[in-house]
Amino acid sequence: MKEGFRQAMAWLHTWAGLIFGWLLFAIFLTGTLAYFKDEISHWMQPEIPARSVPTETSLTLAQQYLEQRAANASRWIIDLPGAREPALSVRWQSAPAKPGERGQFTEKRLDPLSGAEVQGRDTQGGEFFYRFHFQLQMPYPWGRWLSTIAAMVMFVALISGIITHKKIFKDFFTFRPRKGQRSWLDGHNAVGVLVLPFHLMITYSSLVIFMTMVMPASILAAYKGDVQAFFSDVFPAANTAKVAGTPEPLLPLAPLLEKAREHWAGGSAGQVTVNNPGDTNASVVLTHNGTDRVVHEFGRAVTFSGVTGQLLAKTPEQSVPMAVAGSFYGLHMGRFADPVLRWLYFICGLASTAMIGTGLVIWLGKRQLKHAKSGVLPFELKLVEVLNIASMSGLVIAVAAFFWANRVLPVDMAERAQWEINSFFIAWGLSLLHAAWRRGRGAWVEQLALAALLFASVPLLNAVTTLHHLGNSLATGDWAMAGFDLACLGSGLFLGWAAWKMQRAGQPEITGRNRQRSIPLEQEAH
Amino acid sequence: MLLAGLLCYGGFTGLCLSMDRHHAELLGRKASIAERRWFKWAGWLLLGMSLWAAVSVAGWAFGLVQWCAVLMLSALLLVMLMPYRRRMALSLAALSLLASPIAAYAVL
Repeated sequence: MKEGFRQAMAWLHTWAGLIFGWLLFAIFLTGTLAYFKDEISHWMQPEIPARSVPTETSLTLAQQYLEQRAANASRWIIDLPGAREPALSVRWQSAPAKPGERGQFTEKRLDPLSGAEVQGRDTQGGEFFYRFHFQLQMPYPWGRWLSTIAAMVMFVALISGIITHKKIFKDFFTFRPRKGQRSWLDGHNAVGVLVLPFHLMITYSSLVIFMTMVMPASILAAYKGDVQAFFSDVFPAANTAKVAGTPEPLLPLAPLLEKAREHWAGGSAGQVTVNNPGDTNASVVLTHNGTDRVVHEFGRAVTFSGVTGQLLAKTPEQSVPMAVAGSFYGLHMGRFADPVLRWLYFICGLASTAMIGTGLVIWLGKRQLKHAKSGVLPFELKLVEVLNIASMSGLVIAVAAFFWANRVLPVDMAERAQWEINSFFIAWGLSLLHAAWRRGRGAWVEQLALAALLFASVPLLNAVTTLHHLGNSLATGDWAMAGFDLACLGSGLFLGWAAWKMQRAGQPEITGRNRQRSIPLEQEAH
Repeated sequence: MLLAGLLCYGGFTGLCLSMDRHHAELLGRKASIAERRWFKWAGWLLLGMSLWAAVSVAGWAFGLVQWCAVLMLSALLLVMLMPYRRRMALSLAALSLLASPIAAYAVL
């Protein structure tokens, strides 16, 4: 009975892992990149200067700018520069022509030191990876549905994987390289077990984040089918007073930052919203930036009167269920993480990606062994092989192409941001064609080598196309810019090593030491 | 986080040395039962101390997150080092145990 159960779990692990493995690999890799989305955006918009200015100064500059340009707007939204996001961004909503309509939004980015407008090149930046990892570039809500289903399958694969690999704790420290299929399995188990808390956390929390899609039944039952009532409970919108029509000058906003800090135990405002600026009923909402604590709190804010500076409202203390949901959200996003912890998050994400990748390689390797003698693969295995190559090395090439497009496309090109994204998908599509044409080890080696070349040359590309080369960014202490270049160089070297290993493992064994080993799976790829 | 990381790495090396196969692989000789028991206790003790170090420096919320991160990645580092750089894996453990009192003095 027990063996039967374990076999059933192994079957589930094998097939759930295969069918969703390619998609999950893409979700995990882009999601991992999203941990550095602000830094990626900074690299992709080199026109936006990185400065560290006191928040008060930035806010004063933003207020001056908006009072000159948008005095009649119905709402101002000011995004303050933070430790990771150097830009000061202001948006304003014009008063609607008819009551009940929504006014138009205008957005500008300012230099936080001088208050002058800065124009960054048109790009999605790191936001692209963040959006892709749960929307999959599909129309709403299909992408979210698919990624939620993928998360559910991932959870199933993790649980069934724990049951399947029963010797997890006995083999806790085991990794035996240079042993072909055995090494892949060791690697898969080691990465799976050692980073298991992260795999479980990230997968389960993604289900919590999309719980309204995954488990609508409990919400529908508790709110008697009124989903909107659930959302208004979870996200209580600030009730803004109507325009009074009597003009009254707005208070200086900067001192309100300190008043808001007094209401919070730690951290400071990341966003300032002014409703009805210049009116008697002006209100100022300071929203917490949420980087000082692990438990995320949605819309944590204090509201002051824009005329008297009096406290109007404060979001109530978080209830326990909200705190539980908020802690899963906070852990998944990692917004609180300082640079060191952020890198650890990134490595954990790569470990998850590697676990999925090794799993896919093992699936194919096991089945290729059966066809080792004839050297001819049946169609379905050829298909899996092509999809493995395109979904892994192809995706890495696509990421590199996205970065290259950012520097190579003309700055004033029409629909530039869209063309960067198109380059990503064109590169990915071409890698699929290449994998289908070349197949096997040759395709792996060529694609990994190309990816290595593209990544390793990113610092050079940056030096040729902008003034922010490594010598400059290191000297001025622009760590996000320098870190991006260095991380690309590091990835390039790693990919080059991987290509070299792949190439070498494919050659017939010459040395005596290697002759003894069992035939590695990769040899039968041809 | 550094202190917790050093203690975690030392702790996992201890637990690793308490297992027959790895003990022989790392030190080149068979371990007696007493030795293995000693390594096991030392390993668990160090892991426990690392949790305490992380929480007392950064508080429960941040401390637990940081501890989980260094726990996972120190074990990963050890496992990846062992087959390729056996000596380095061991000397890193010795070094982290030597450095941890200094790190403790700096942060506590």
